[in-house]
Amino acid sequence: MNLQRGQRAKIADLVPNGQRFTLGVAVNAPDLILDFACFGLDGQGKLSDDRYMTFFNQPTTPCGGVRLETPAGDAAGFAVDLGKLPSTIERLTITAALDGAGAMSSIGSGHVRFMDAGRETGRFDFSGADFAAERALMLLEIYRKDGVWRTSALGQGFNGGMAALVGHFGGTVEDAPAPVSAPVPPKPQTAPLNLSKITLEKRGNTVSLDKKANAAHGEILINLNWTTRAGPVKKGFFGGTRSNSIDLDLGCLYELKDGSKSVVQALGNTFGDYRDPPYIALDADDRTGTRTEGENLRINGQYWDEIQRIVVYAFIYEGTPNWAEANARITLKTPGQPEIEIQLDSSRNDRPMCAIALIENQGGSVKITKLVDYYRGHLDVDKTHRWGLDWVRGKKD
Amino acid sequence: MAISLNKGGNVNLSKEAPNLENVLVGLGWDARATDGQAFDLDASLFMVKEDGKVPSDAYFIFYNQKTSPEGSVEHTGDNLTGAGEGDDESVHVTLSKVPPEIQRLVIVVTIHDADARKQNFGQVANAFVRVVNRDNNLEVVRFDLSEDYSTETAMIFGEIYRHAGDWKFKAVGQGYAGGLRALALQHGVNVG
Repeated sequence: MNLQRGQRAKIADLVPNGQRFTLGVAVNAPDLILDFACFGLDGQGKLSDDRYMTFFNQPTTPCGGVRLETPAGDAAGFAVDLGKLPSTIERLTITAALDGAGAMSSIGSGHVRFMDAGRETGRFDFSGADFAAERALMLLEIYRKDGVWRTSALGQGFNGGMAALVGHFGGTVEDAPAPVSAPVPPKPQTAPLNLSKITLEKRGNTVSLDKKANAAHGEILINLNWTTRAGPVKKGFFGGTRSNSIDLDLGCLYELKDGSKSVVQALGNTFGDYRDPPYIALDADDRTGTRTEGENLRINGQYWDEIQRIVVYAFIYEGTPNWAEANARITLKTPGQPEIEIQLDSSRNDRPMCAIALIENQGGSVKITKLVDYYRGHLDVDKTHRWGLDWVRGKKD
Repeated sequence: MAISLNKGGNVNLSKEAPNLENVLVGLGWDARATDGQAFDLDASLFMVKEDGKVPSDAYFIFYNQKTSPEGSVEHTGDNLTGAGEGDDESVHVTLSKVPPEIQRLVIVVTIHDADARKQNFGQVANAFVRVVNRDNNLEVVRFDLSEDYSTETAMIFGEIYRHAGDWKFKAVGQGYAGGLRALALQHGVNVG
């Protein structure tokens, strides 16, 4: 069945079993970066539970009713099992949002298609001619009406991009600075939804920041932030209430070109130094969990040539390890480069330490490799990466 | 408690609301939540004889001809966006003044400039038609069409018709391509 924009159909008429199918999404737009997501919405069309937004950083819903699965030949996709969805989820909306410049009018052809056991059973074709200045689209939705699952080919969107889309679903995105004349409001307890970033999705993914000729890298800022879901019911998009129960520390192992090796971390008060070796400095220790900006590690890019390699890690100093609830992520910011984000998205609650990323000097370029490996402590990280330091148990002042 | 009809269902207005005389036919839909050109939906009403045709063009009530010759039907005005709660457009009918030769009042909604704007009813959310007794402001019957339309650009939402001396309402929910012009021609209106 070919669905026209605006057309509705019963799922049972598209997929014989009426319950399980995979949606494949593709857009022919070589110059644009598109992010696809599936929003699981309540009866009011709102994303009342952030865990039901399925996208590259959150590959499955808690119930397993929606998970990332890309059919061959498509750019993205979602395996759907309607029978697994809780009754609170009334609607699944498949969306596409532009990351970076552009508008949907400049896309070529695109489609959302229903796949049943590898066979296409229905599709909705669209093209740039259907759109104008939209930067985020609701492509297709699957919804429950009087106990029957149906689909509707939407093909409508928002010029305001992902932020407007999230707003439509009742979420909040904190990315616009407050007007200068207005009093500065208290900083909301929600982390900003990053609209411009590179995300290293899988372990072993790498990205290289090439140094422009005769230019230093500038400051490489590594931020560790986390939220917990232990507090009141979350309202914000990706937001959460910070709990005092977990003290997450950011630190790194480093090795300089001259062979010197050590750590930069709050534990043992080795905060490093920005202007002198190791050219890596930790801002401060956020022990209270009340600072919303998290912890920062700065690498002085002017001296990048002096640095051989760095393993960035997070360490739960106090509190029971619960990585899944900590929802920790680090971002790496380099001037003039897209922000890089790594989620600590697997959970080993028996291990208090997570080696997050390996940063290497490769012929002057900054090569970043996602690790997200969990360890019992520093010694194990050291052994894995063959650092060769001596370790004794330390305590913070 | 108003009656809610499904497509094809009907209700006897004279029995549900005895002595019903001053009727408001309310039509509504959600304003466009997304960016792009607004959905401009227009309500119209064809006053047709037994043969389904208007006695003359004067019995086609729409945004450019808001009142029937004898004044029994009056269109209250054009809403260009669907913004606001409740009815977006409405038509007043005084049942006792409807000429005897008129058997049915066919209530239609069309999307203005649908082809140029690449719009259809499937993109419009929460469309409904309802019949209200203006004398006590009570809703007599309602028909929510959301699941009964798709890629059409013109729809018969419902009709009020004579039956054995009573007035009845039927939830029609029938869509057509071709917009208001096609529906006008079908009901015997001479469209220029």
